[in-house]
Amino acid sequence: MAQYKRFGGIMAITLATATGLTACGFGGSSSGEEGGGATTIDLLVPSYSDATQGLWNDVIAGFEEENPDITVNLQVESWDNLESVIATKIQGGDAPDIYNGGPFAGFAEDELLYPVEEVTSEETYADFQPTFLENAQVGGTTYGLPFIASARALFVNDALLEEAGAEVPATWDELLESAKKVSELGGGVAGYGMPLGSEEAQAEAAVWLWGGGGSFGDADAITVDTPENLAGAEFIKTMIDEGATQADAGATDRSPLFDIFVQGKVGMQVGLPPSVGQIESDNPDLEYSIHPIPTEDGSPFTLGVADHLMAFQNDGDKQEAITAFFDYFYTADVYVPWVQAEGFLPTTLSGSEELAGEESLAPFLEVLPDAQFYPTTNPDWAATDSAFKALFGQLDSKKSAADVLAEIQDRVDQG
Amino acid sequence: MKDLLKALPWIGPAVALIATVVLFPVGLMFYNSTRDISQSGVDKGGVGLDNFATVLGFEAFWPILGRTVVWVVVVVACTLLGSLALAALLNKAFPGRRLVRMAVIVPWASSVVMTTLVVHYGLEPYFGIINSFLVDVGLIDTPEGYGWTRHAGTAFAWAMVVAVFVSLPFTTYTILAGLQTVPGETVEAARIDGANGVRTYFSVVLPQLRGAISVAVLINIINVFNSLPILRVMTGSIPGYDADTVMTMIFKYMQNQRQIDLASALSVIAFLVVVVIVAVYVRMVRPLEEV
Repeated sequence: MAQYKRFGGIMAITLATATGLTACGFGGSSSGEEGGGATTIDLLVPSYSDATQGLWNDVIAGFEEENPDITVNLQVESWDNLESVIATKIQGGDAPDIYNGGPFAGFAEDELLYPVEEVTSEETYADFQPTFLENAQVGGTTYGLPFIASARALFVNDALLEEAGAEVPATWDELLESAKKVSELGGGVAGYGMPLGSEEAQAEAAVWLWGGGGSFGDADAITVDTPENLAGAEFIKTMIDEGATQADAGATDRSPLFDIFVQGKVGMQVGLPPSVGQIESDNPDLEYSIHPIPTEDGSPFTLGVADHLMAFQNDGDKQEAITAFFDYFYTADVYVPWVQAEGFLPTTLSGSEELAGEESLAPFLEVLPDAQFYPTTNPDWAATDSAFKALFGQLDSKKSAADVLAEIQDRVDQG
Repeated sequence: MKDLLKALPWIGPAVALIATVVLFPVGLMFYNSTRDISQSGVDKGGVGLDNFATVLGFEAFWPILGRTVVWVVVVVACTLLGSLALAALLNKAFPGRRLVRMAVIVPWASSVVMTTLVVHYGLEPYFGIINSFLVDVGLIDTPEGYGWTRHAGTAFAWAMVVAVFVSLPFTTYTILAGLQTVPGETVEAARIDGANGVRTYFSVVLPQLRGAISVAVLINIINVFNSLPILRVMTGSIPGYDADTVMTMIFKYMQNQRQIDLASALSVIAFLVVVVIVAVYVRMVRPLEEV
């Protein structure tokens, strides 16, 4: 008997420790505390920078002043956690009312979202750039409010290129040649910074595969394993094999690598609008310039990304409050300072007009007309995204480019 | 039966606590593992054991399980050997022993993620202090250093080093407590019989540490098997599945692929593995048995 007691004790310890990981699955429910007819909207947003929380607090303060009967609960999460937080909340029946994220098609598919036209006034809806609205539709209905946009461009360390006697490239062959020249400078300098690590492998993949005339597919079908995409994947391998990139490209994440670009140890790397601000604050002496991304034949192209706001239906009783919030937020006076402070590009017509004279954004606004987007409206996009993150870096190994693409396609098809 | 009713008010709160924080999550995990849950977290109905079939059919599953065994065995074994040595040292009286004993607690007192991140940054090429050191003394000839955390093998090995480092304090103290229960007479008797130090340690002291060691090993096995943060930080940026253990794979299912159903199924498998290991261990070693 005594032994069974002990055994029971040990099993209890085992249970307690073994379930530590899975036990965190339930978030507490914090909604439903409305008192005196007031409405509460829960807002779940990712942190774009250290300033994000403050910017949202300003927006909320202004909004609550104009709408005293509505309170807004703000929850800020890091990008790393955001998607598991929202999945956990939905699973626990505690979805936020407004959510700021990337992919939204999965939510629309599960019929969790309000169509945008039901939660915005006509003026607000008409003010969005048409291309961005198109990119936010599932089956002809808009489910995401285009929130902020960004485009990519090639950041070039002018000092290193001059020292190596290399030209700013426009095509892949020129890029390979210039990058090799810079790499040959030695001293740990890398010609081209190629981040294929899990952080944002899908972006570097798009830069190369699309730059060779490929695509990831459209709203109906995800096509990764195609001959057009293979050209880009094989050129990535060429870049790595010929020593034009930093070491271990397959497992290098984007942010730490860009830190090294800012330190002046990388010749060329693809960057974003906020990268300009990062260089300015961390190493203002860096001699750099921004150019269009080199492509196989030199034709202009950029990877555009739009994040979206979306409104969850929940009990269906907060539609008016949500509409009021969106209409307030998208007025140029509120929206433009937000976008500007974070260093992104606006998605509204009025916002673009206001920022037209902004010099640091000019190189990006220039390439924006040639932007191509991820097929985010495809319900399989989230699976595609994670497959790229997990598998694309294998290009930096003995595996052939064709095998890597086939493996990614396979993962997507499995769902 | 009457006794049980009488005891209920006293054990009731503990039972309620165990039911809510242990049994309920376990039950939910088992339940989720048989459901089809969409990426946004909506339950689409039961699928029986399909999730288990998917998890077991994944081509990297068996290598991952094998790596998990290596991970547990190597980390627990190294921890135990290191702890035995440390505990023997700390059991001797020497000036400043109190300070050294405190220092040993430090890795235990600081956050595992923090400790791992410090090592991780040290291993970064370009600016990591460990890489800079190795370059400066001439062991690495590339000026930016070596990408320790960019290769599955080296990243996994460094993760083991960190795991041993953070497991040492607890194990050392458990064994130290055991050492202090060893009666001085037994050691003295061995000495009088002419046994030297080594002989005394292995034939007299070590057998008496059986209880302490077996408890320490049991708890370490569970802890190390379930350890996520060290591997997550050390091997997180490596593509593919060449540095994953069962725990990091659960995390990848959950976080990267957002397949909560598959993550639950793998959790159930992991849970059963731990229960089996512990059951076997308890039967064989009887850690709580008196010597």
